Amino acid sequence: MRAALLTIALAAPALAEPVVPTFREETESAGIDTVFDGDWDYMVGGGVATFDCSGDGFPELFLSGGAGPSALYLNRSAQGGALAFQKTEAVTLDAVLGAYPLDIDSDGVRDLVVLRLGENRLLRGLGACRFEDMTQAWGFDGGDAWSTAFAAIWERDQTWPTLAIGNYVDRKEEAFPWGSCTDNWLHRPESGPETQRFAPPIPLTPSHCALSMLFTDWNRSGQPGLRVSNDREYYKGGQEQMWHLEPGQPPRLYTEAEDGWKRLRIWGMGIASADVNLDGYPDYYLTSMADNKLQVLKDPASGKPDFADIAFKSALTAHRPYTGGDLRPSTAWHPQFADVNNDGLLDLFVAKGNVAQMPDFAAKDPNNLLLGQPDGVFVEAGDRAGVASFGIARGAQLVDLNLDGLLDLAVVNRWETAQLWRQTGALDGGWVQVRLQQDGPNRDAIGSVIEIRRGDKVERHEIASGGGHVSGSVGWLHFGLGTSAAAEMRVLWPDGTEGDWLTLSARSFQILRPDQAPETWTAE
Amino acid sequence: MPFHRRQVLGFTIAAPFALGLQPALAANRAEVSREVLLMWHKLILELVRHTATYSPPVAARAFAYIGITAHEALATGNPALRSLAGQLTDLSPLPPRAAGQHDEPCVLHAALAAVVASLFANTGPTGQRAMTAMARKMGETASDGITGDAVARSVAAGQAVAQHILAWAATDGGAVIENMGFPMDYTPGTRPQDWVPTSLIRLQQAPLLPQWAQNRPFALPSADACDAPPHPAYDETPGSDFHAAALEVRDTFTALTDEQKLIARFWSDDPMLTSTPAGHWIDIVLQIADRDALPVEVISATLAKLGVAQADAFISCWSTKFKYNLLRPVTYIKRHIDPAWEPLLITPPHPEYTSGHSTQSGAAAAVLTFSLGENFAFDDATHVAEGFAPRSFPSFTAAAEEAALSRLYGGIHYRFGNEAGLDQGRAVAAYAAALRTEA
Repeated sequence: MRAALLTIALAAPALAEPVVPTFREETESAGIDTVFDGDWDYMVGGGVATFDCSGDGFPELFLSGGAGPSALYLNRSAQGGALAFQKTEAVTLDAVLGAYPLDIDSDGVRDLVVLRLGENRLLRGLGACRFEDMTQAWGFDGGDAWSTAFAAIWERDQTWPTLAIGNYVDRKEEAFPWGSCTDNWLHRPESGPETQRFAPPIPLTPSHCALSMLFTDWNRSGQPGLRVSNDREYYKGGQEQMWHLEPGQPPRLYTEAEDGWKRLRIWGMGIASADVNLDGYPDYYLTSMADNKLQVLKDPASGKPDFADIAFKSALTAHRPYTGGDLRPSTAWHPQFADVNNDGLLDLFVAKGNVAQMPDFAAKDPNNLLLGQPDGVFVEAGDRAGVASFGIARGAQLVDLNLDGLLDLAVVNRWETAQLWRQTGALDGGWVQVRLQQDGPNRDAIGSVIEIRRGDKVERHEIASGGGHVSGSVGWLHFGLGTSAAAEMRVLWPDGTEGDWLTLSARSFQILRPDQAPETWTAE
Repeated sequence: MPFHRRQVLGFTIAAPFALGLQPALAANRAEVSREVLLMWHKLILELVRHTATYSPPVAARAFAYIGITAHEALATGNPALRSLAGQLTDLSPLPPRAAGQHDEPCVLHAALAAVVASLFANTGPTGQRAMTAMARKMGETASDGITGDAVARSVAAGQAVAQHILAWAATDGGAVIENMGFPMDYTPGTRPQDWVPTSLIRLQQAPLLPQWAQNRPFALPSADACDAPPHPAYDETPGSDFHAAALEVRDTFTALTDEQKLIARFWSDDPMLTSTPAGHWIDIVLQIADRDALPVEVISATLAKLGVAQADAFISCWSTKFKYNLLRPVTYIKRHIDPAWEPLLITPPHPEYTSGHSTQSGAAAAVLTFSLGENFAFDDATHVAEGFAPRSFPSFTAAAEEAALSRLYGGIHYRFGNEAGLDQGRAVAAYAAALRTEA
């Protein structure tokens, strides 16, 4: 195998090495001390949510604590300065597995969907990082399950979101937990105009122990489906799934017979979506154990959800540790595409960590930071960038915490303190960060698509709530620009409105609204 | 010689009398032993699926040791049973029981709990939790109503059997599996017919367990004792036998009926998604045991022989595979017939000739036919939980032949690899069938 790899390396065209970003860990100095704790029933989960609840534009951090307490950290960082957070008691809950920010009631203040071992909660943001529990008031059945996946969308003509919750194993099963996957739920709005309540959840049967969910317009039909990544460790007769979700119709599973859906069975743990190959269609990185997958549509014109796995040729399998000397296969959790080194090419972060004590898999399993190159082949730089932690990672977020244009990193670890890295190196590449904002329902424009020109191609980004491993963000959307002095960008809004192509200056923050000129934002 | 129902029942009732138990109590304890054996095996099938190193050859090895353990645990207390020590390669006599009353369910449970905990020591946290729960539950079931000193004596006896088997197992060459069975270094062959990796999985760029044939066989005299004859001469010429065999794979796929697709998937028995082909046949025995209320001694002897036959079949098959190192149909077809062709099933990551599933199914069917009889009809409900309806077979042989054919339907084997595998398995099984489990 080494000989074969050597041959590939020798045959590859000479490319300039991508710029390796530099990160400095500031966990302790930033005041972070939350641990994702717990035994068997916390072996999955461990999410982080980032969103601005104070109104100052800087994202706050919400860290799950598993059997320990969760915590909301207020962002006290100065722009471009060291990371600084103030721990609060605002959202201190037990049994928290993960969370996603979402402005459920469209009042302009982000709410928080909290996934738990037990009843899930909806916390309404009141401003100034205060919250009230609206689980019952919004008619939301929090259930009593092991909730490990989430996705949200505003279905067509709806003023209230649809929430998908993925659930895991029946935790009461001891000797035979396998095959005991419990139902996932689809929480649609209660019928009626201007409703502000959820209807009783619809079971998404069959369910196969979901660890990630994502609403995605995979074929650009304007009608997103719900992708579900499932853990094959526990299902019987299961596979990766996608659901049709047509307005007013019951959810319907994509099948081999009717839709050409192709069976894939992995230890699905996280979904990251991006237009990696610049064909205009979303691609999907699916984390698993050992090899991970990068799915691209084989033939978009066919209309069939038939994907090719190009992880191997893209050097994105991330199947074993690349540093630390442990050669056993890896265990991957949260994946996220972003342009970490601002060179205009997407990079990929993957959080890694053993399930617990699985001796056939790496115990020292470093996180990956895989840098994109023009030829589509990625190169590992986690160790050189300084984020190759051997913590038992789960959820994560790449987000600009100090608003300096460089993406920072938050990672939740099992049994150890979550880690925070600030990107500190100087990068030549430019960037732009945008925030989508619209009036009426769905204030953050979940379900939009941002298009950005990359040379003679257009890179498309679906703006989603969901995916990853129980981790998500709402707020500034970061785009690296490389040597471009400006970004050429437009927004396709959730109602189908096509925004104008905009020229946005590099190194700026812009608020984009339908039918309005961009608004440049500066920190106070 | 096959068991017949009447002989089986007479045998099991006679044995407890020899221990001086009252008939009602003896029947009750036999039933508890039976429950212990079946429940542990139900868990073992799950552990095989959920333990990362348990590829089909590794699973077959474990089933063999577990079956032997159960039989020996019972044999140490039942003079009507004959130990396999001296019959299986390098298995020395099992430690005799201490003086005093023993309880058979407790002995059996202790032996199984110990051997399973060791063989599956590398399973994940859920498997560990399940083993703990099973040990607790079966321990309570087995010891209910039994005096403390008898329980302690029985547990010690069972554990002694397990330790003896485990010490023996540790020397067979197959005890340590690294990198899920894939070598870190591999030099591919250079002949046009040589196997090349067929998957886009990095871990599988080397073949699975290329050294497996160096393991010590159980009853087989040597790994190559039942070698298959040479496959049709490799040839890329249209019209040649080899080309025709590959063309048949492609054309079969093109014309697959729904029933054939179902058969391919029913017998797919993928590692990490099922209990593997070996587990499939173990499951069949457990279903028959349940349907026919087979006595515990019959079940354990059957499982032991089946385990030995399957484990030896994999050693034999792997010897052949790496002797010929033949490329898979998908490789040949893409190179010489249809570059865009993809099979129905995922091609296993090791050479084609002979088919592993066919070899071990041939062995399983032959040894089960010997133990339970010709034309032994049964329903196979192994994959009901996966959504497959039970399939009915008039005999073990018919089931094995369908299993072999399924690999052609799945597009992962040439017909000649399946047929040679069946023959190879049947030859291997003769050695397992010759084992004596009765005194």
